[in-house]
Amino acid sequence: MGLSRYTRGTLARELVLILVAIVYCLPFYLLVAIALETTAQTFKTPLSFPWPPHFGNFSEAWSTGGDAGLGQALQASLVITLSSVAALVVLGSLCAYAIARRSGHLSPFVYMTFVLGIILPFQLAIIPLYVAMRQVGLVGNYVGMIVLNVGLLMPLTVFLYTGFIRSLPRDYEEAARVDGAGLLRTYARVVFPLLRPITGTVAVLLGVVVWNDFFIALVFLSGSRYQTLPVALYSFASAYVTQWNLIFAGVVISIAPILAFYVFAQRQLIRGFSGAVKG
Amino acid sequence: MAQVVLSSVSKTFHGGTRAVSDLDLEIANGELMVLVGPSGCGKTTTLRMTAGLEDVTEGEIRIGDRVVNSLDPRRRDVAMVFQNYALYPHMSVYDNLAFPLRARRLPKAEIRRRVERTAELLGLGALLKRKPRALSGGQRQRVAMGRAIVREPQVFLMDEPLSNLDAELRAQLRAEIAGLQRELEVTTMYVTHDQLEAMTMGTRIAVLREGVLQQEGPPQQLYDEPGNVFVARFIGSPTMNLLRGHIDRDGDTLHCILGGERLPLAASVSAGALGGYAGADVAVGIRPEHLGERSAEHGDRARLRGRVRFVELLGAERLVHLELPAEPVVPPEALASAGDAEEADVERSPRAAQPTAALVTARFDAHAGVDAGELAEVALRTDRLHFFDLTTRRAIR
Repeated sequence: MGLSRYTRGTLARELVLILVAIVYCLPFYLLVAIALETTAQTFKTPLSFPWPPHFGNFSEAWSTGGDAGLGQALQASLVITLSSVAALVVLGSLCAYAIARRSGHLSPFVYMTFVLGIILPFQLAIIPLYVAMRQVGLVGNYVGMIVLNVGLLMPLTVFLYTGFIRSLPRDYEEAARVDGAGLLRTYARVVFPLLRPITGTVAVLLGVVVWNDFFIALVFLSGSRYQTLPVALYSFASAYVTQWNLIFAGVVISIAPILAFYVFAQRQLIRGFSGAVKG
Repeated sequence: MAQVVLSSVSKTFHGGTRAVSDLDLEIANGELMVLVGPSGCGKTTTLRMTAGLEDVTEGEIRIGDRVVNSLDPRRRDVAMVFQNYALYPHMSVYDNLAFPLRARRLPKAEIRRRVERTAELLGLGALLKRKPRALSGGQRQRVAMGRAIVREPQVFLMDEPLSNLDAELRAQLRAEIAGLQRELEVTTMYVTHDQLEAMTMGTRIAVLREGVLQQEGPPQQLYDEPGNVFVARFIGSPTMNLLRGHIDRDGDTLHCILGGERLPLAASVSAGALGGYAGADVAVGIRPEHLGERSAEHGDRARLRGRVRFVELLGAERLVHLELPAEPVVPPEALASAGDAEEADVERSPRAAQPTAALVTARFDAHAGVDAGELAEVALRTDRLHFFDLTTRRAIR
C-alpha cells in the first residue's frame, strides 16, 4: 500500500537518511583527505580535498612509523589480536560451558567472580601486575601480551558465552551423549558449532578492543622491538611537532584490515548479533 | 537386543519432587513397551533414567545382564529419539546419521555403508545432503529414527516422537515405527501421553500416574480389564462412563440399581467378588460401545432412559450424550488428569457435578434417528459392566 507509493513523506525520510549517512561518512572523508595532504596543507586547508593528492604520506608513514615501520607494527597487531581472540574464544567458551551446565554451588560462585572481573578496573593493579609479569618474563613479548589480553577480557567473554549457552536447549548435548560421544567430542562437534552466533559477536567485540588497545601495549611492550599499530602511530606525535598527515595515513593503514573484514563478513556479523540457533 | 528390567526404581529431584515411585517394570527382548500417562506422571523421567540422562535415586535398572545405574549414557548401548528430534542443526542429514558411528570410531567405509542402508530403509536417500532446517516435520522425524537405528543398539528409547506432527502424519508414522520395530526386533521403550498411540503400537502398555505404575499389560487387557478407575478412564476414547450404582442381592442373582433401573447381572458377574458388595454402593463403568441403540436384535438387553443432551456425528457412528438420573463418579484428581487426554470431560464437568444427573456417552449407528432434547432409551450390555470400589477405586473382580 503506502510502501509502494513514493510520497513526499518518503522523500523526506530519504533526505533525512542521506543526511545521517553524510554525518557518518564525514570522519572517513577527513581521514582520507588529511592522509593525502602535505604538511603545509594540513594547517592551511585541512578540510578541503587536496589536489593533486599526496600519496607519499602512505609510504613515509609505512617506513618511518614506530621503531621499525608500520609493517612490523601491523604484524605485531595481527599476531596479538588473532591469538588473543582465538584463545579467548576457546578458553572462554569451554569455561562458560562448564559454568552453564554444571549443577551445584560452585558454578554460580565462579560466575559471580567473573562478573566482578568485568566491573573492577584493572588499571588499579597495573603496577603489581607489571612487576609480576616482568618477574616471569612476560614483558616485551607476544606471549605476555596475549596472556594479559586473555586474562583481562576473559570475564566479559565468559559472561557473554554463559548467557548464550544457558539459553541453548540441552537436547543436543543429551542426544550426543546417548549417541556415544564423550564430553570433549560433544563440546567440539555439537556445542561449539551451535555457539557460532555468539562466537562471531565475541570475536568482533574483543577483536576491536585488542586491536585498538593503546595503554596495555604501551606499558607492556615498551622498550621491545614489538610495537602495535596504535603505539607506532603515536610516534608521529611529539611534544613539539605532530605530523597529522602521517598519523592519518597510518590510521588509514591500521583500519584497513578491520574495514576489509567488516565488508567481507558483514552478513555473518549481522546474523551473529541478531542470531539464535535455528533447528 | 536385550531385556530391560527396572526394579523398585524411584526418582526424587532436588527440591523433593518425587517423579517416580517404586517402579517395577520388565521389558522383554524385542518387545515394544509403551509408557503412557498424563503429563507429570513420570514416564519421561523413567525413560531418561534408562538412558542415563537422570540419576536413579533408588532401585536398579538392568539392560541385558548389566546393572546400568552408574553407567555413562554412551556405555549403555541405547539409542534415543527425542520429542523435538534434537537433530544437530549444523550437520547434514548424512552427518547426523553418521555421528553415533563416528563417535564409536568405526571405519569410514563401514560408516558409509550403514548410513546408506539406513537412509534407504527410511526413504531418506535423496535428503542426505540437506540440513535439518530444510526438512519437513515428517522427514526430520525419520532422520531422528534413522540416527537411532543406524547404531544397531540394544534398546530404543522414544520420548513422544510423534507429538510434534499433524494427525495424518502421526497415524502414518505410528504404523511405520511399529512396523520397523517389529522388523528390527529391538527392545523399545516408547513414551507417549496419547492413549491411542499406546493402544495401537504397544506390545504391552504401562499406565503411570503421579510416578506410580497403575497397571501394565497388553493393550486389549488394559481396555477390557482396567485395574482401577484411573486406567478405566485413561484408556479408551471416548472415555468410560462412570456412575454410582447400588448392588442388591436377590437370591443367587445380583442386581445393580443404576439410573432408576434395577438391572439383573449375569451369573458369572454375580459369582465373583462383587457379591461382597451386596447392599453397598459401587462405581459402575460402562464403555460407550456397550451402551447403544435399542433395536430388535438386542431387545432382551437391559435398558436405561435419559434425555439426549447433544449428539456428535462422526461419520461412521454417532456419539449420543445422554443425561441419566444417576450420580456420576468423577474423582477430582482423575478429572484433572483426564483433562490432559480428554478435554471434553473437563468441559462437561460442571453439569456432571449435579449429583442426580450424569452425562453418559453412548455409541449409536450413524443413521440412528436421535436428536438433542429427545427422551431416548439405550440398550446396556450388563455382562460388560465394570465395577470399582468407591473408596480404593480398584476394580472389583
